[in-house]
Amino acid sequence: MNLKSIRIKHNIKLQLFLISAGLLFIYKMFFYADESFLLLILNEIIVFSTVLFMVLYANDLFSEKKFTPMSLVMNLGILCAVIFLAVLFSDSLLPALFGKISDTLKNPDFFFKIISFLYVLFFAAIVSQLFLIFKELHFLKQKRSSSIYFTTMVWFFLFASITSVLDFFPELSYIKNTFFIISVILIIFNSIKISWIAFITKKEKLSLLLLSVIICTLFFVNLFGSSDENSHYQVISGFSTSLGEFYIIIMIYGAAYFAVLFFTTLFHIPTAEAFDRKAQEVSSLQYFSKLITQVLDFNELTETITEIALKVSNADAAWIVWKYERVLKPIAHRNIGYLDAELINDYIFRNKSFVETSSSFIQSLEKFEKRSQLNEPYSKVLVAPIETHNEIRGYLAITKKGDFIFDDEDKSAIDTFSDYASVAIENARLLEESIEKERLEKELDVAREIQRKILPSKDPVYEKLSVSSVFIPAFEVGGDYYDFFEMEDNKFGFIIADVSGKGISAAFIMAEVKGIFESLSKIIESPREILIKANQILKRSLDRKNFVSAAYGLINFKREVISIARAGHCPLLLVRDGKVDNIRPKGIGLGLNYGDQFQLTLEEIELDLRDNDMIVLYTDGITEAKNIDMEDFGETKFEKILLDNSEKSADEISNEVIKEITQFSKHNIQHDDITLVILKWKQKLKIVSLGKAPSLDGMERKNGRIQHLS
Amino acid sequence: MAEFSTSVKDQGDVSLLYLNGYLDAHTASILENNFSDLIAKDKFKIVVNFKDLVYISSAGLGVFMAFIEKIRENNGDIKLTSMSDKVYNIFDLLGFPLLYEIYKSEDEAVKKFEETNKLEK
Repeated sequence: MNLKSIRIKHNIKLQLFLISAGLLFIYKMFFYADESFLLLILNEIIVFSTVLFMVLYANDLFSEKKFTPMSLVMNLGILCAVIFLAVLFSDSLLPALFGKISDTLKNPDFFFKIISFLYVLFFAAIVSQLFLIFKELHFLKQKRSSSIYFTTMVWFFLFASITSVLDFFPELSYIKNTFFIISVILIIFNSIKISWIAFITKKEKLSLLLLSVIICTLFFVNLFGSSDENSHYQVISGFSTSLGEFYIIIMIYGAAYFAVLFFTTLFHIPTAEAFDRKAQEVSSLQYFSKLITQVLDFNELTETITEIALKVSNADAAWIVWKYERVLKPIAHRNIGYLDAELINDYIFRNKSFVETSSSFIQSLEKFEKRSQLNEPYSKVLVAPIETHNEIRGYLAITKKGDFIFDDEDKSAIDTFSDYASVAIENARLLEESIEKERLEKELDVAREIQRKILPSKDPVYEKLSVSSVFIPAFEVGGDYYDFFEMEDNKFGFIIADVSGKGISAAFIMAEVKGIFESLSKIIESPREILIKANQILKRSLDRKNFVSAAYGLINFKREVISIARAGHCPLLLVRDGKVDNIRPKGIGLGLNYGDQFQLTLEEIELDLRDNDMIVLYTDGITEAKNIDMEDFGETKFEKILLDNSEKSADEISNEVIKEITQFSKHNIQHDDITLVILKWKQKLKIVSLGKAPSLDGMERKNGRIQHLS
Repeated sequence: MAEFSTSVKDQGDVSLLYLNGYLDAHTASILENNFSDLIAKDKFKIVVNFKDLVYISSAGLGVFMAFIEKIRENNGDIKLTSMSDKVYNIFDLLGFPLLYEIYKSEDEAVKKFEETNKLEK
């Protein structure tokens, strides 16, 4: 709708222009140079409307486009040059064709009428184009309020042009002259208001300086070439005096505008660089602030920071000094070699007098004794700290060669910039941390799942033995493992183990340990033999730094005895007759020694079981449970609970223990897995325990002595 | 998280390594770096002083296991000294006293190294 109406308006203006141009043509065919004032007025009215509609139509075409000041100036220059050439051409060609123009004007032939009509129309088009460009230039980067000055000026142009008709009566020419002088004053006034000059780059300013001289000269040449002796001007003013006047005014405007422009540009040249830099700085910072939300990889980010720092500061080289565990190392060096950056680093940061500072500073390299070793003659370094959470993480350093100095502008620019950089780096770090945390949590989920599947899902049930087990995983999987092996010939095996380390690696070792013991328990009976074999198997897969503490036991229901071997695990507890005994046969942890020593030191003991005997297996998650003061739960407290509740059932006792531990460590997180297995024997028992001690030649023998438990 | 730190001192050709704080899965890498550094400098006679060590976890114990083989191959040793009862108990349960020389005081450990030196000569 809107577009359509605009197009119709366009068409109307074009039609009006064509109509008035046609009218003008017909009029000129009949009355070319009439002496009557009325006809002269009529002539001017038709010319005026023709030019007016031409300007209006062209203005519509013009205003749809966007122009840069430089393109407008170039257009002006071209149009001005066209006029210059046209004048040059016509001044020689017109007299050759039509003889003396002033004579021809009095009695024009048909050919002259057509030629002059087209010639004037062509000039009118160029002049109106010039006018429109000037208008466009004037309003460029200009505030709205200034339109009044321009409008006033245009009105006076019109007055001056129209009143030139009064030249018909020489005594009235002062009216035209007055308007003309006011127009010139307004031209000068308007020309001074050139506000777009500040916004162009230094390079553009330099070329503008040259252009304005050329264009100004062209306007002046065109202006002085428009005298009454001049054929070209004679044709135009003979055609229409007001158009001739308007042409002259526009030439004056051009000459004045470019003369002023020349000086304005000249005065802007010294500040051009500063302005360019500010503009560069602002756009760089804008670009950077956009970028920091996108670039999250630390290395990529630091590279970007130094790249933009160079742009912002106009320096020769930039790099970041980053703190790696208290050591400052250069990274992301740009335009400077690593060695140079390292040398300068040494000088500035590893200097004994260097103190960590949270404000930027400038360091001269003039007294740097190794300055000659630098590949480039850097003279000054500007250093700004990169700070996150009030902690200095590193520094941004920029440097210049030769005699250049850093001023306050550079300093504040780099200060602002390093603030941005700090935020960006902190963002990247936080993201990295949260990704790492998420990864770790996922990993721990997997580890817990492995552990859950490895541990027995329910406790075995026997007539003579009640079994109760509790397992509470720590957030970071601790590697606790226990298992029960129900055997066919009235025997029951059990294991408790703790894999060193935490998390997924511990969970994998656990899975392996389970596999080993499950298979071995089927083929070997003796706890000692099983542990020796397990140690040999683990040699193939366990890392040097990993090991497994384990205790393996076997209950023989028929003989009512229990045999136990321990490989580095916490002692087993025997609660009997209101006393707690530590069952601690000798033995090194699995995976600590693959030589003879493991086998040589490993003991197996055998105890007879008595009624109400309670065997307790646990991992250090119980005794090392911490309260808020980081105190251990400890063996004493643990044993006391066992004693106090020894009359109760296995399940009740384990509940009691867990309750107490939870109470004790309620204000602290659980650091390690907690495993507790309670075995209760309900029948008679007597101590006739036998231990198996190794002989030095590696042969086993029953030593037959009674094991003293203490 | 609990803090852990170490410091290293040279006494003749013996390196004294002091442990301080909580040595667990999170801080074990610090001690690993210490051992790696010492080995890189061909220092294989190491006395580890546990005087200021509050706690050691299984991962902390693993660090000693990780390096002992390499050190003994180079005629060196890791000798442990000045443990608190609690820390000693952890070592003892696992059977470490069978695998490592553990001394009451630093001087004893250093002296032991000196004696072996003499024997070698």
